[in-house]
Amino acid sequence: MTKLKAWFKTIIFYEILVGMKATLSHLLHYKPITLQYPHEKRALPDNYRGMLALLRYDDGTEKCVGCDLCEAACPSRVIRVVSAEVPGEPTKRYSKEYYMDMTRCLFCGMCVDACPVDALGMTREFEWAVYDKRQLHLNKEQLLAIGDRSFPVREKRLELQHPNVAFFNVSFGHVPQKPN
Amino acid sequence: MTLSEKYGTEIAEILSRYPVKRSALIPLLYLAQREGGYITEAAMIEIAGILKLTPPQVYETATFYTMLNLKPVGTFHIQVCKSLMCALVGSDTVIGWIKAKLGIGPGETTADGLFTLTAVECLAACGTGPMMQINDDYYERLTEEKVDRILADLKSTGSCALKTGPFMWPEPARNG
Amino acid sequence: MPESKTDSVRLTIDGIPVTVPKGTLVIEAARRVGVMIPHFCYHPKLKPDANCRMCLVEVEKMPKLQTSCSTVATEGMAVRTATTVVNDAHKSVLEFILANHPLDCPVCDQGGRCDLQDFSHQYTATASRFVETKRIFQKEYFSPLIETQMNRCVQCLRCVRYCDEVMDVKALAPAGRGTMTEIKTFGTHELDCEFCGGCVQICPVGAITSRLSMYEYRPWMLKRADTVCQFCGDGCQITVQTKDNELIEVNSEYGAGRNSGDLCARGFFGFRATGHPDRLTKPLIRRNGALVETTWEEALEYTAQQIARIKNAHGAQAFGGLISGRCTNEELYLFQKFMRLAIGTNNLDSSARYGHMNGVQAMRRVQGTHRWTLSFEEIVQADVLLLVGTNVTETNPITGLKVKEAVKKRQARLFTIESIRPAIGTISNITNLVDQHVCALPTQFGGAVLALLKAVVESRLVDQRLQHESPDYVGAVTQALERLSWPELEAATGAARDTFVQMATGLAQGRRVVVLAGQELLRSAGGYGSCLLLLDLLLLTGKLTEPGCGFAPLAEENNDQGAVESGAVAELLPGGLDLANPEARARIARAWKADLPLAAGATLVEMIDRARSGLVKGMLIVGENPVGSLPTVVGAKEALQRLEFLVCQELFLTETASLAHVVLPAASSLEKAGTFTNQEGHVQAVRPAVDPIGESRPDWEILSALSVLLGTPLEYGDAKELLKEIRGVIPGYGLLGPAPIPPKVDRAAVERYLAGDYRRALAARYTLAGPADAAGGTTHLGLFQSLFHSGKLSTRSKGLLQIEAQAALRINPADAARLALADGDRVRLSNRRGEVTTTVKVLERVPEGSAWFPDHFGQDTAKLFECAIDPDTNVPAFRTASVSIAKIS
Repeated sequence: MTKLKAWFKTIIFYEILVGMKATLSHLLHYKPITLQYPHEKRALPDNYRGMLALLRYDDGTEKCVGCDLCEAACPSRVIRVVSAEVPGEPTKRYSKEYYMDMTRCLFCGMCVDACPVDALGMTREFEWAVYDKRQLHLNKEQLLAIGDRSFPVREKRLELQHPNVAFFNVSFGHVPQKPN
Repeated sequence: MTLSEKYGTEIAEILSRYPVKRSALIPLLYLAQREGGYITEAAMIEIAGILKLTPPQVYETATFYTMLNLKPVGTFHIQVCKSLMCALVGSDTVIGWIKAKLGIGPGETTADGLFTLTAVECLAACGTGPMMQINDDYYERLTEEKVDRILADLKSTGSCALKTGPFMWPEPARNG
Repeated sequence: MPESKTDSVRLTIDGIPVTVPKGTLVIEAARRVGVMIPHFCYHPKLKPDANCRMCLVEVEKMPKLQTSCSTVATEGMAVRTATTVVNDAHKSVLEFILANHPLDCPVCDQGGRCDLQDFSHQYTATASRFVETKRIFQKEYFSPLIETQMNRCVQCLRCVRYCDEVMDVKALAPAGRGTMTEIKTFGTHELDCEFCGGCVQICPVGAITSRLSMYEYRPWMLKRADTVCQFCGDGCQITVQTKDNELIEVNSEYGAGRNSGDLCARGFFGFRATGHPDRLTKPLIRRNGALVETTWEEALEYTAQQIARIKNAHGAQAFGGLISGRCTNEELYLFQKFMRLAIGTNNLDSSARYGHMNGVQAMRRVQGTHRWTLSFEEIVQADVLLLVGTNVTETNPITGLKVKEAVKKRQARLFTIESIRPAIGTISNITNLVDQHVCALPTQFGGAVLALLKAVVESRLVDQRLQHESPDYVGAVTQALERLSWPELEAATGAARDTFVQMATGLAQGRRVVVLAGQELLRSAGGYGSCLLLLDLLLLTGKLTEPGCGFAPLAEENNDQGAVESGAVAELLPGGLDLANPEARARIARAWKADLPLAAGATLVEMIDRARSGLVKGMLIVGENPVGSLPTVVGAKEALQRLEFLVCQELFLTETASLAHVVLPAASSLEKAGTFTNQEGHVQAVRPAVDPIGESRPDWEILSALSVLLGTPLEYGDAKELLKEIRGVIPGYGLLGPAPIPPKVDRAAVERYLAGDYRRALAARYTLAGPADAAGGTTHLGLFQSLFHSGKLSTRSKGLLQIEAQAALRINPADAARLALADGDRVRLSNRRGEVTTTVKVLERVPEGSAWFPDHFGQDTAKLFECAIDPDTNVPAFRTASVSIAKIS
């Protein structure tokens, strides 16, 4: 009996039919699943790790305090921060220059985790193909612009959030500054 | 006029009391405070010169003791005890009464320069709280009426019969 | 050190047995066995304060936890540092500290090397149980250099205690009480102090940080290089921290180097000169009267060609060389070898000639050494110290700290002969700590030493053995002193006879007597004679040959001592050998495999004189600036202008370099390798922290290249190879260990001196110097070194310029009152030689009738000074003048 069954399966190419089952069923009710990128785009999940951006507070001041922790956290040395004192606002720290070499970035998001003031965000932008690699070397203005267009909802300033952070990186603007 | 010009002999007398010059710091600061009710920077610098200390060392001592004022105070310096014993029997309310009466909180001076209110640590009259010290006099077992009377008397006559001086135990007969 | 049973105790720390000397604190004993007890307020330099309560440990048989920083280890003690009870105690102490500490680690410069951060990671939970608002201090001022952020303070008072106990400045004080204690100077006044940076270094958290490099770095980005400070003769070890080839900060680890981690303003804040935009980055050559940039090839070839031309036309003696005492030993050595072999002349000198030679020659003559017979340890351990003309706080601040340590911690007796009045000021004043003080003018330091000698002789304090063995010497000195009368001496020095008798008695009674001679003595007219008098003083009291006693002249430039030892002075060969000594010459000739020039060389001022008269046609000047340093009366500028060829190796286009035909850019000491010899004679390694700026090269490379072009190749692969050669030439050189081994007094030299050498110019040095310079004027003007400046580097250093940007004439309050002057007023100084205008700063430490002008800003005032040349050592003395002061409205 089993012999007969086996012989029957052999002549009707049963194994091939099993293997082709999925193909054959799709052949019947054909529905394309390829997105017609760039005409069509996928809906990305909220935790998508795309292009990095620098963020601002709701009054337009940049969040970054230039602490270099992102630089320290980055596994592929993407980030370079040059921090300094805010001109005219003694003892307040900011990043005078901020560079990201996106050609090296592996979008691990460690910098975002490391940021103590949530100044870095990962956008859902991914269309960053360029003809010249140098265009992927982004400066602070470019990164802030990405943030501006990707994160329209902004937080209020840190010192207004809780009295205990009121003293985090604030200037002593009221104190006459000594001429340097 | 500098202190040594005005109180030369007294300073010499104070200095003669101590084998180590530096020990005369607090008496000299008191002397300076007597002059204008508070200790000026010039006085601190002068005292530093007398005692061969640096001005920061004098400043350190002057800021440590709450009995030494570094800012001008009113004619009557009201010091309300805020330590535990008085707090239990209502030193907060005493401060509240004074605030209601004079419109000043702790650390403030009235506009006419008569009263300055400060909350201070224990004045060692725990048995008779709530209490306060105005300039050198104690006022104990305070009630709202008593505070009213004290403030009114001080304002009009400059002194008040309710002053008691620290009570010793056992308590003498009550006055007022 | 062997520990006998009686002065050591045994205890166990976490079960580990350890034997420590008696009196050791438990925290130190624990450190010995590698157990780190967390602490904030404890520091080995400071007395225990036990205020932070962080270092609590459990000690067996003690009912409560003990602070290990104030508990002395005793025999059989069993300490436990890792129990639950201890851990809980640490946790709760930290929780209280963190109750008020702001969470601003990301913007704090200490973040990454902060004790509080480390302990927090070790002990506490991430969330705080305190919800109350944290304390906030408002800031009242910003110091240009030392930034205080009191919100971060843990109130350990290390800074306050350091400022008092170590520095003796007392500029910081804890104001207020309890939680609201704030480290401040005075009221709302700005911090004005020595700016030693000690508080920045000692702060365990980020409450006190350096504003100079604020926010420019994070600690983990820094690369470090341990090198030696380039400013004074103390030879402090500094750790230069750099980021991307940029200088960020300088500090010195606790216990590091001869300074054991202490620095002064120059060391801590003076490093920015190296990266100054004025630095020369390319060789310059004079074309059509102007210096223009050129290539190294052209500059070197032209230089070699010119040197060869002058040598052929006028002989080797028509060439001279000067080198700065800020070059490394290798460079100084190669320079003199270059001058002696490649050019063939002994016309060479270094900045040791400005004063250090006086001390060195006196030591050579009397005790037969060219270095100290002491080290800093002996200064600390001395029981009697005599300071003569040192102004030690400002000239050699770290030597000053050693003196302070001896006096404050070890109760040594301090005698001073200084032109400073004891006064409390913003910077510490060594004369506040004295036992006996003579406030004399620099011209009368010699007189004061004579008075001291007279007191020694008259009080019969002369060493019995010396009296017995060398009656001639004692007799001659006694006779010479008899010619001086007390009224004369008292009038000259302004001190009473009793003071001198007291000092003499103290000196004679002392077991370890150390005499320090400073710049003001060494650079004054008769400095050599005064040094001999001081050595006579040590001889007469029988101290010179005693262990722990000795004479120590302080060097101004960091490698003055190295210059002398490398033979970069006309009369000495490497190793302090006498050029005139045929044996010494033969030894060096053997080592170099070449003959040395015979003719005696010209020294600094002689060379300038010869240049003026046309005898010297060409000069090589390495880092030295005679035009800026010497007084106008010497005429260095005119003399150098007459040269046919002048080549300078320089960092900056100085007054001298701007006269040159070729200027070669040199690398600064932070950019090259080599060794420096500090004033104790300790050879220490200099390591490059950054790359040389532009095309600049180390001086030795330039000299080596020139020698090749001149056909006398002196080629070396690197500075180490040079050091190797130096070690071959100078036996025992290069003690690159943690501490120097000072030489012993050469008995033969002492005997030679006592046998008759003392007679040479005896009468001259045993006479009282006449009244000071009579150039018209009533005020005694002196050049003095400011704590914040030391020459071309410091005057281009951002940090130091922020403390002291301009020269100001220091005068006494009484004089100021007499002339109706206040801080910042302009005055005219005039005497017969000229006049200058400057501003005034009233300073209590200046003696009445004197005025001080900071050296190194002195270019304008140079014309007021006379220059006296010492007949024995050829040292030019030009630091005093008499002037009259008038107010300009």
